[in-house]
Amino acid sequence: MTLPVTIIMIEDDEGHARLIERNIRRSGVNNEIVSFTNGTEAMKHLFGADGTGLKQKGNALLILLDLNLPDMSGIDILKQIKENKYLKASPVVVLTTTDDSQEIKRCYELGCNVYITKPVNYENFANAIRQLGLFFSVIQVPPAAS
Amino acid sequence: MTAEEQRRRAFWQVLLFTAGLLVLTSISAGSVYLVNEARDDNKWVLHTIEVENQVNALLLEVRRAESGARGYLLTRETNFRNDHDKAVAAIIPALERLTRLIGNSPAQRQSIEQLSAAIQTRLGQFAREIDFVGQGQPEKAAALASEAATAGTTITIGSVASAMIREEERLFRLRSISADRSQTLAASLTGIGSGLVVLLALISIWLVRRSARARDDAETRLRDANLNLETTIDERTADLREANDEIQRFAYIVSHDLRSPLVNIMGFTSELDELGKDIFRRIGGLTGVPAGGPPVDVAEIPLDGPDKQMSTDFSEALGFIKSSIARMDRLISAILNLTREGRREFQPEKIDTRDFIEAIVSSVAHQAAEAQAEIHIEPLPNIVSDRLALEQIFSNLIDNAIKYLKNGVPGEVRIRGRTKLGYAIFEISDNGRGIDPKDHQRIFDLFRRAGTQDKPGQGIGLAHVRALVRRLGGTMSVSSELNAGSTFTITLPISWNASNRNADQ
Repeated sequence: MTLPVTIIMIEDDEGHARLIERNIRRSGVNNEIVSFTNGTEAMKHLFGADGTGLKQKGNALLILLDLNLPDMSGIDILKQIKENKYLKASPVVVLTTTDDSQEIKRCYELGCNVYITKPVNYENFANAIRQLGLFFSVIQVPPAAS
Repeated sequence: MTAEEQRRRAFWQVLLFTAGLLVLTSISAGSVYLVNEARDDNKWVLHTIEVENQVNALLLEVRRAESGARGYLLTRETNFRNDHDKAVAAIIPALERLTRLIGNSPAQRQSIEQLSAAIQTRLGQFAREIDFVGQGQPEKAAALASEAATAGTTITIGSVASAMIREEERLFRLRSISADRSQTLAASLTGIGSGLVVLLALISIWLVRRSARARDDAETRLRDANLNLETTIDERTADLREANDEIQRFAYIVSHDLRSPLVNIMGFTSELDELGKDIFRRIGGLTGVPAGGPPVDVAEIPLDGPDKQMSTDFSEALGFIKSSIARMDRLISAILNLTREGRREFQPEKIDTRDFIEAIVSSVAHQAAEAQAEIHIEPLPNIVSDRLALEQIFSNLIDNAIKYLKNGVPGEVRIRGRTKLGYAIFEISDNGRGIDPKDHQRIFDLFRRAGTQDKPGQGIGLAHVRALVRRLGGTMSVSSELNAGSTFTITLPISWNASNRNADQ
């Protein structure tokens, strides 16, 4: 038996966070969403107080990550997640306003699973989020490394 | 070192050289002269001694003649007679020799005349004495001899001779002093000359050393100046690069950060739109359906009167907001793209310009046909440059030429090229609507356009083109009049290489 997937959303802009959440819900995804507005708190939640990530052992996580955070770079968070043995199996979806090909390339190199440029066009955005929702429901997210 | 200093230094060197030469020449001449002088002096000293000797020799012969005569007078032996005769015979040649030696020295000439007169007298007396003895009158001869002795002929001879010797001794002293002076002079001349030469040599050495030092100093200063210049250039280049990077970063961050709130605005506007539709549907449902009646699909209930008006106003407001957001998004994207272009590294490659332009022209063939425009490509020089950048430059300009033609006039676009001083000059001219000269600067500014705004566009193309041309190390200009067509001129280096600009990126 697998645990239900928890969605960790790391997004400093509350408006964006709200829009993302709404559209995820609208797509019919009802998984628990845990939101963080800065990198430090998110890191604390993901890696625990000891910073080992042992706390998340066995939990199924899906991480939505914004690259522009006030306190640290999303790239760093992505790198640390993918280097941690308990977290590296969790899919990471990078959500950002940048569509710089260099940055996209770098994210994929670091192991990001999906890179979505936040479109201003609401319809496209909703569509992207909906697809993300489909992605959540179809893909069996593997539990964090045991 | 200034030219004036150099000239002065050269002058001094020539002067020194000349002075050295003069000193050497005068020393040589002086030495020759003085040596001759000394030789003359010595000759005269020798001459004096010879004269003295000759006087003494003459006196000796006179004495011998006298003693011979006396002996003969006393003894009548022929031995004495013979002796006397020999001496008398020697007297005249000795006197002649002395006269020759004396030459024309006036003082001695007088003495010699006296001497020779006295000797002649004495010789006469001798002859008479001998005759008297021969005739057997010895007493007469003795009387003559004693008369000669007492009357002073002999004494006169002695005194005149000794006066001559004294005169010669005086001359000897004078001439010795003169000879000494000549020698001293020669020695001091040589000494002074050598001293001068040594002094000149020292001055020359000093001058040479000074100029060598000056040259070394100048070299050091030149090297320092070069180093300073290079450092300054490096610093300025670094500053410029930094400033440029900062502008790029600034543009990037600003446009990037502007996007973030825009996402919210757009997102929540759409939410509002949805919400508004729901609200008006509900209003329609509440007003259009009689209470207690069967449920009706709210979407199908038409609004009426003021409700319909409200719904239209609401949609219109949202429509303006949405289109403005879309426009803003396009502008931000354009800035982002520009900054991204500014950071792209160029790859120079050889480009067959004619093929290259033909490819661009064929890609706009459809638009050209629609605008009834003909595109003529004249011979073009090949260049080495970044293909992508050139493609953007030319397609933008050709696109513009076709886009802004005069309505109802068949278009004619001409692409010309030539080379000049390592640069290729391309001209893209059209017979279109033209650009007012007051707008010539403005059209190259970002988001600015000119003329009738009847064609879609963001005002990005020319700004982008000019930025690219500049990055390729070229320049760009426009010449145009309203309604008289436009000519855009692009000057690009024939061979662009990464080192002229990419190194600065």
